[in-house]
Amino acid sequence: MTEYRVKGRGRVNTGKPVKFTFDDRTYQGFEGDTVASALLANGVHLMGRSFKYHRPRGVVTASSEEPNALVGTTRGGKGRFEPNTRATMQEIYPGLKTESQNKWPSLKFDVGAINDRLYMLFSAGFYYKTFMWPRSFWDSVYEPFIRKAAGLGKAPTEVDPDIYASRYLHCDVLVVGSGPAGIAAALTAGRAGSKVVLVDENSEMGGTLLSEPSVSIDGQPAWDWLESAFAELDRMPNVSRMTRTTAIGYYHQNMIGLVQKLTDHMADVPEGAPRERMWRVRAKEVVLAQGAIERPMVFHGNDTPGIMMSGAAQTFLNRFGVLVGKAPVMLTSHDSAWYSAFDMADAGAKVVAIVDTREDVAQALKDEAQARGIKTYLSYTATGTKGRLRVKALRVNPVRDGKVGAAHMLFCDAVLVCGGWTPSLHLFSHTKGSLHWDEEAKVYLPGRKTEDVHIAGAGRGLWGVATALEDGSKAGADAVKSLGGKAGPATYEVADDRTGTGITQKELPTDRSPGKAKAFVDFQNDVTAKDIRLAVREGMKSIEHVKRYTTNGMATDQGKLSNMNGLTIASDALGKEAPQVGLTTFRPPYTPTTFGAFAGYHKGTHFEVTRKTPIDSWAEENGAEFEPVALWRRAWYFPKAGEDMHKAVARECKATRESLGIFDASTLGKIEVSGPDATEFMNRMYTNPWTKLGVGRARYGLLLGEDGFIRDDGVIGRMRDDLFHVTTTTGGAPRVLNMMEDYLQTEWPELKVWLTSTTEEWATIALNGPNARKLLEPFVEGADISADAFPHMSVVECTVAGFPSRLFRISFTGELGFEINVPARHGKALWEKLWEAGQQYDICPYGTETMHVLRAEKGFIIVGQDTDGTVTPHDAGIGWAIGKMKPDFVGKRSLARPDIVAPGRKQLVGLLTEDPKTVLTEGAQIVDDPKQAKPMKMIGHVTSSYWSEALGRSIAMAVVEGGFDRMDQTLHVPDESGNPIPAKVTGTVFYDPAGDRLKVE
Amino acid sequence: MLLIHCPYCDDTLPELEFAYAGEAHIARPADPSKLSDEEWRDFLFIRTNVKGVHAERWRHIHGCGRFFNALRDTVSDRFLTTYKAGEARPDVQTLEAAE
Amino acid sequence: MNAPVTNFDAVTVTVLPPVARFNLRIAPADLAVASKALDLSLPTRIGQGSQQGDRAAYCIGPDEWLLHAAEEEQQAIAAAFDKVRTETPHSLVVISDREVTIGISGPAAVDLLSVACPLDLSRIPVGGAKRTVFDYAQVTLIRDGEDAFRLEVWRSYVPHVQGLLDVATRELAAGL
Repeated sequence: MTEYRVKGRGRVNTGKPVKFTFDDRTYQGFEGDTVASALLANGVHLMGRSFKYHRPRGVVTASSEEPNALVGTTRGGKGRFEPNTRATMQEIYPGLKTESQNKWPSLKFDVGAINDRLYMLFSAGFYYKTFMWPRSFWDSVYEPFIRKAAGLGKAPTEVDPDIYASRYLHCDVLVVGSGPAGIAAALTAGRAGSKVVLVDENSEMGGTLLSEPSVSIDGQPAWDWLESAFAELDRMPNVSRMTRTTAIGYYHQNMIGLVQKLTDHMADVPEGAPRERMWRVRAKEVVLAQGAIERPMVFHGNDTPGIMMSGAAQTFLNRFGVLVGKAPVMLTSHDSAWYSAFDMADAGAKVVAIVDTREDVAQALKDEAQARGIKTYLSYTATGTKGRLRVKALRVNPVRDGKVGAAHMLFCDAVLVCGGWTPSLHLFSHTKGSLHWDEEAKVYLPGRKTEDVHIAGAGRGLWGVATALEDGSKAGADAVKSLGGKAGPATYEVADDRTGTGITQKELPTDRSPGKAKAFVDFQNDVTAKDIRLAVREGMKSIEHVKRYTTNGMATDQGKLSNMNGLTIASDALGKEAPQVGLTTFRPPYTPTTFGAFAGYHKGTHFEVTRKTPIDSWAEENGAEFEPVALWRRAWYFPKAGEDMHKAVARECKATRESLGIFDASTLGKIEVSGPDATEFMNRMYTNPWTKLGVGRARYGLLLGEDGFIRDDGVIGRMRDDLFHVTTTTGGAPRVLNMMEDYLQTEWPELKVWLTSTTEEWATIALNGPNARKLLEPFVEGADISADAFPHMSVVECTVAGFPSRLFRISFTGELGFEINVPARHGKALWEKLWEAGQQYDICPYGTETMHVLRAEKGFIIVGQDTDGTVTPHDAGIGWAIGKMKPDFVGKRSLARPDIVAPGRKQLVGLLTEDPKTVLTEGAQIVDDPKQAKPMKMIGHVTSSYWSEALGRSIAMAVVEGGFDRMDQTLHVPDESGNPIPAKVTGTVFYDPAGDRLKVE
Repeated sequence: MLLIHCPYCDDTLPELEFAYAGEAHIARPADPSKLSDEEWRDFLFIRTNVKGVHAERWRHIHGCGRFFNALRDTVSDRFLTTYKAGEARPDVQTLEAAE
Repeated sequence: MNAPVTNFDAVTVTVLPPVARFNLRIAPADLAVASKALDLSLPTRIGQGSQQGDRAAYCIGPDEWLLHAAEEEQQAIAAAFDKVRTETPHSLVVISDREVTIGISGPAAVDLLSVACPLDLSRIPVGGAKRTVFDYAQVTLIRDGEDAFRLEVWRSYVPHVQGLLDVATRELAAGL
């Protein structure tokens, strides 16, 4: 047992000692300890340095609102380091390594503490005032300085290897907080048969009862009662309990985000176990029983290590069996600290004194203090402390008629403070529920509700275990009734309840110059009372402005300790009541949350969906490089040994043009447009006319938005009078189907047409090249695919290699081409058969890059590459695709809009560089005259640019203002280092303009 | 994440199944060629930007696939009601009285 | 939910053999024609299913049904519908290869699905089906029993969905 551990107190398992390290020194605690309780048991209060002034700081709370005791923790192995872990929440386990932060070279001697000496310079608005000018200093001086100084802890640099999970959960009643109110609510709702989930952020449930074992409920000591309550809850199949689970955010319609910490307390993590799990809970009713947060007092030196909340001291004593000091002074304005003093005295501490700012307290408290020999000072203030790394004395003064009297020192080893209690309404605030200012108690309480939520216990300003139980049970019953069930609140007999009252206040009165006081309001961001008053003097009138000017409440604890004190001081400075000054908005998450918890499974291979075609595995086995296209990964090119992309693509292009290429086109979107009005529907959707397209024929279809700009394109085959096989671009498939459904459902519901996505029903293999038919013909049954019987732009149903098929004769390369659609499961088998038989023609698999080059040589556009949502059919040079005789189609009216018919639109043209070896950069801007003054007028940009093996030179397409009227003009395009490259404007068909290559017999 | 009532499924379901689809009750003109440039511009581009009750379209895209309409308060993000495509916009007062 | 899952036996994930699968679109008024063609009375409410032998029909939209049958029946069913198409317009599209079916069964099936399916699964009746999402993938979720489900997933999304199910199964097996 260490010096500060009290025998017979606490719930830690003294049979199981646990060794861990803090700043490389080994300490011993017990199973059930937190880092904070174990360090305190070893007499260590100093746990960190503050953010701005690097002041030594000790732990001040025993819970999740801790602002000071933030440590770095190592979970073992690379990437398993976490900064800013609250020492009060991190449980110890054998081998845990922790370290203090924001110090150099050591926690006890920190060079950065020079900032503390420069205190007068770092006042409110420091950043705004100091880093204003000159502008040029921002990038070179100020920002690096701020970046270096900003942030607590050090960010890990390696990938976090841990697994993070997520889960949806639906329940009747979610109870947040497992103190007496939460437990009572869960019991009542559970007994009524509701599906109940009870959560608590701590490692064990019980809330305040864990820190207050002296109370008894229904004749049982508190801890025995807890045991039986948990046993009853666990017996109910409709109730589940989750510890180490924080409700981080309260969203619309009772959706609550819970983060459950699963393994951070374990030395040996089970295989496959996630570190944390994000629960997305949809609860029909929510009970918030989050309790209240103890408020610090604001006085000079109130941040010295050894000064902490009195309730925290009580928790460390009763839950962890640790005396935080052997000679503490209590400084309070609330009765609760008196009870903490009694508990500490009863555990063997010599309580030096109870200093209370109030003029009087209940006689019973005074009697009990006297019985324990504790001195009491009423109507006193605290004006300073002694000690830097640990408090040695508290300077106190009497206050009479508003005048601060002479000071004297109370020598001590801890100062335990209670400046009142703030109902914890963070989650309620997330719902945009209104807050009501309680004039008397000077606290905000829940007002108008926007969700099906009940708030119970200290969270709505109630005090005492009996009241909390009663209120919690009522909240549980109310929730059940809202669900349409029946439940009566249970009654509890409570003995030795510690009811009490108290007040809250601004910074304590002092006999010293308030301007020099380092009276901290926000420990984590080092904001003092002086800063807040200065902000008000400098014109900040709303608390939202004060907050941003001073950074009060903007640290990772979101002002859980500081907001109300800051508000009280600002209100005083403004001479207004708190509600007129406002309250800053609490936002999710309630406590700092790992990125991993938000990402969940979405990391590594599951970061995003990767769609794979039925032929993907063949490509992988054959060494393909892949590129992402929409959500798909597509084979990009198939390099042979020693080839780079350029060489591989040149080879694939050549092989396809000279003999035969095979390409996986399965990602193309496919939509079955079916029904008696299918032709009419197609006429209305696409620019082209469809009425005269015969069954078995195919046509290029162009789809516009209603604004007249190109949205998508693809080849469309007519399978029957009432059935079209529509193809779309790879990325456009979902968008096109959605757009078609939109028109069909909402504009033309009278049309008898139905749309079904068949993208994934078919695997699509494209064969291109002069030998395409020779390869394919022997495999085809049930159709004559000879040149005459099956001309370019035809489709037929047949079998290919025995697989049922929709076979198209089309070409996106300019070569003789076929696209074979077979049921997806047969895609790879067909590919392999064609591959094998194709060896006689030196068949070459090619990827998307070669496909892009081959189509660019023919001037075929790629929607989304050569168009960008501002390109009309005319701009793209494909005005021929418009059915001139059609009365209407989507986008037709827009083609006559004034800005669409105006001259000078950007039009798609070809570009040929003067030096045929130079390949332009895609996306590069184009200028007319490179000698003009900067900034130059940019008249367009390069949309596609490749090396053309067939032509032995580079080719490019570009959109250029008035491009069609600029034929043969020389324009200039910068290369990557900015040198202008001259290029001549041409048409876009670079290869085989007459289309002779399609006519292979 | 909101819960949205699909009037076709007659079920209240997670927002993840739905997609927003712009302002409601903007019908495509029967004969666009009859519209002046200004009228066509207004049809294409001019939308209300309501602070308060907004009539808007949603699609139950990962459910029954239907487009439908909704009245939603853009301040509170609360859905007042949803109704099938083609139905008239419900009266807000009637809705509130019914609550 | 109190019973922790402690081993892999609590849930089985399997890719099921292919079936004949159709997407049927028809006006609800003409439903009797479809029922006759399929020789199975089609359900009328979204989410409902009906089943007889190898044939099953699930209503997944106001005028949309997912039909299942034995593979060898695919052509016969297509032909039966084809016969009535002129008289009663409708759309019957073969989608046997569009989706892959993943069976999920065992006491932890609901927990496993809950990792990425936002629906309240307790509201899906046995024998019913719903189109919904599983993580980023659209799926059709069919419930065959209290703890037996089928997930129909578009083929290209299967690696993603299966990968997630693998991770989550290991997670359930870890018992935390």
